[in-house]
Amino acid sequence: MTTLKNIFANFKKYEFLMKQLILRDFKVKYKRSVLGVLWSLLYPILMMTVMAIVFSQMFRFKVEGINYLVYLMTGIIMWNYFSEASNSAMTSVVVNFSLINKVYIPKYIFPVAKCLFVGINFILTLIPWFVLIILTQFGLGNYPASINWYYLLIPYIFLCLIVFTIGMGLILSCVSVFLRDMFYIYGIILTIWNYFTPVFYSIEILPVYLQKLFQFNPLYQFINSVRSIVLYGTPPSIGTLVLLAVIAIGTLVIGSIIFKKNQDKFIYYI
Amino acid sequence: MINIENVSMRFNLGIEKNFSIKEAFIALFDKKRRQKRTDFWALSDVSFRVKKGEVIGLIGSNGAGKSTLLKVVSGVMKPTKGKVTVNGQISPMIELGAGFDAELTARENIYLNGAILGYSKEFIDSKFDEIVDFSELKDFLDVPVKNFSSGMVAKLAFSIATIVNPEILIVDEILSVGDIKFQEKSKNKMMEMIKGGTTVLYVSHSLESIKELCDRVVWIEHGKVVKIGPAKEIIEEYYKAQMGKELNAK
Repeated sequence: MTTLKNIFANFKKYEFLMKQLILRDFKVKYKRSVLGVLWSLLYPILMMTVMAIVFSQMFRFKVEGINYLVYLMTGIIMWNYFSEASNSAMTSVVVNFSLINKVYIPKYIFPVAKCLFVGINFILTLIPWFVLIILTQFGLGNYPASINWYYLLIPYIFLCLIVFTIGMGLILSCVSVFLRDMFYIYGIILTIWNYFTPVFYSIEILPVYLQKLFQFNPLYQFINSVRSIVLYGTPPSIGTLVLLAVIAIGTLVIGSIIFKKNQDKFIYYI
Repeated sequence: MINIENVSMRFNLGIEKNFSIKEAFIALFDKKRRQKRTDFWALSDVSFRVKKGEVIGLIGSNGAGKSTLLKVVSGVMKPTKGKVTVNGQISPMIELGAGFDAELTARENIYLNGAILGYSKEFIDSKFDEIVDFSELKDFLDVPVKNFSSGMVAKLAFSIATIVNPEILIVDEILSVGDIKFQEKSKNKMMEMIKGGTTVLYVSHSLESIKELCDRVVWIEHGKVVKIGPAKEIIEEYYKAQMGKELNAK
């Protein structure tokens, strides 16, 4: 109990620094671009348009009985959040070494700030995503998406996704300090993982044994839960909702333990 | 205030050497080729106490372990052996400007760097004008720091770091910052803080300024404490050992 209290006191103490780091990322990202922060909205819209055209017009992907555009976009925004956040969290400790070497700052701040910064961008992408859902009500695509009260569960699912990503970020940033090769290895892992997550195809086109195997992919669980609400209007089962929290908190706890155990050694390896 | 007990710090120099999968694989089978750990003790068995309000100078040749000691005290590094207890808030001034982001303007960097040093938003808000005045950079507030000269960066960093009245101040060779005018100003600022009861750990190669500012001096060589004592005495001895002649005979 006291350790929990200490952890929260520590958060409180470094809350301002966390905000400043996130703010810095924001400012640096859009500095000197003419459209500035507007890109945060524009970029996902344009990306979505391109992906939508490529997959629904050129490759003619579709999933029977539901709106493929919404299916695709739900997968893409959630996958993109995970891959971008975990990737930048991974490099965050190494990149900020000049600071770590000079001033005492709790090191977990860097990966966590990165995950939250990308998280803000993710929340912005939800605006065009939701606009798309509304447009399907007016005849965009073959079938309309469902709008229902279960949408209230979606923030919970996103929260689980973000917590899961922070946990992964802690593990990755820690490993990459000792093994720089991780930068490249993880790039490849992400590509493989991307294809093994049903982002643009439906899991039903796979053989049954693969479908079973996919259940162990945490990202499939996150994406699938949101899809079942948005496309089918059915909420994920209580079991699934609990599972999401277990995945998220479990990864966070494992990540924190690994990070905490090794953080004092970082300084010798950078 | 600061209690350093039998602190030792080991670096493994082997880490930086060519560690690769190939080497590791060969080492699995060939024990002779296994890399020997090349340990380097940056500090060994260093102990001393600093009382509240005391100004301690650290001297020694390059690579003697002075900066490592400061890093251990400020919590950046954990000692391999021994213990450091610090009572009070530390303001580290080790290498100025480490927390700056070159893309951001001076104004934005004041907040960022302040946050890194552990200040609160309210505190920086209230001291903002004072920081700007002291740094003499009022006209450059909205210029990205990457366009600053190194002197300007140092001035800004010094102004941010010294705006608090920390209980413990850790200074690594920074009084030679900026132009002559600013050097004088920063020295006065230091004096003011010292008079205000701040405990200071001060590393410098300028024996003049150590003699002027410090009560006691710790002389470190090869990671070991050679001598601790009153500033004037130790400095004279140090000079003699290093240069082979009396300090005043130059």
